[in-house]
Amino acid sequence: MIRTLNILFLLVSTKVEEAGKKAAEQGAPELPNFITLLYERYGKTSLVQFLHTWQNVVFSLIIILILGFVAYFSSRRKTLLPGRLQNFMEMAVESLDNFICGILGPRGRKFTPFLGTLFIYILCMNFLGLIPGMKSPSSSLNTTVALAICVFLYVQFTGIKNLGIVGYLDHLAGEPRDFITWALVPINLPIHIIGELAKPMSLSLRLFGNITGEDILIAVFVSLGVMALSFLNLPVGLPLQVPFIFLALLTGTIQALVFTLLSTIYFLLMFPHEEEKH
Amino acid sequence: MTYQTALALALPFGLGIAAFGSAFGLGRAVSAALEAMGRQPEAAGRIQVGMIIGCALIEALTIYALVTVFVLSPKIG
Repeated sequence: MIRTLNILFLLVSTKVEEAGKKAAEQGAPELPNFITLLYERYGKTSLVQFLHTWQNVVFSLIIILILGFVAYFSSRRKTLLPGRLQNFMEMAVESLDNFICGILGPRGRKFTPFLGTLFIYILCMNFLGLIPGMKSPSSSLNTTVALAICVFLYVQFTGIKNLGIVGYLDHLAGEPRDFITWALVPINLPIHIIGELAKPMSLSLRLFGNITGEDILIAVFVSLGVMALSFLNLPVGLPLQVPFIFLALLTGTIQALVFTLLSTIYFLLMFPHEEEKH
Repeated sequence: MTYQTALALALPFGLGIAAFGSAFGLGRAVSAALEAMGRQPEAAGRIQVGMIIGCALIEALTIYALVTVFVLSPKIG
């Protein structure tokens, strides 16, 4: 399916060349999406300007609407003998639940809705950039920072709820019990606080860097393919980007998995320590 | 040497150094994990989860260099 979409995409690839020339003046190359195409044609109307300013939010909203409709239609008429859609959704939810409960234990079931939604949402955001005319919202730092801040706040809230305020401060101070550990508190406390603050930063920067790099790679190879055939004056280019699209499928899945896995580990670190020993 | 020339020379070079280091780290981590999986195939699932976490943390260092390149490369122009 991706291949046919690509061929369709190559039909409008003369636009790509123009956009590529324009992007070369501005910095990193970027494939045009339908909002930038609209902006080129109708850039003066306020609606299009609004869409262009908020394009990452618009693409995120498209994904949210699609996911919401799929969830609504798959759970609207629940039957004992599930249909195709319900069967697929049950399988997805069950495997995510198994994955998260396998790390957090039985008390992790409470976090499955949050972490599973994160996985599905990030996966869809990463794959949206591979559809011609669309853009990955996760190739903007704003989107990934928002997700990472959500994880950060929820992790700290869980820590305070599970350990209590005293236990949370004790955890941050490195659990001082005797004289030496008390003496090390002035060193341990800043290190732990910096470590907590570094978690959302590394989560967001990793996702942003990977997805942006992958999108720029595909855009560079699309414009190379267009340039290779430009002497023929045809509206088609060589599909040089096809191997990198499979690479992008791989990295998109792995990055969604890594984001979810690391968030799960951060939740695990905030649980009381006694239960880990047995 | 102007500011722009220095950036244009230093950014790809720095990214190369970061990629070199994390390639070494990834090679060691993956080879150890594969060896462990070969010795204990029944623990392959847990080893794989640990390996992916480790690979993500190692790879993040290269990604930081890449993000620096993204942030600074418009200033070359």
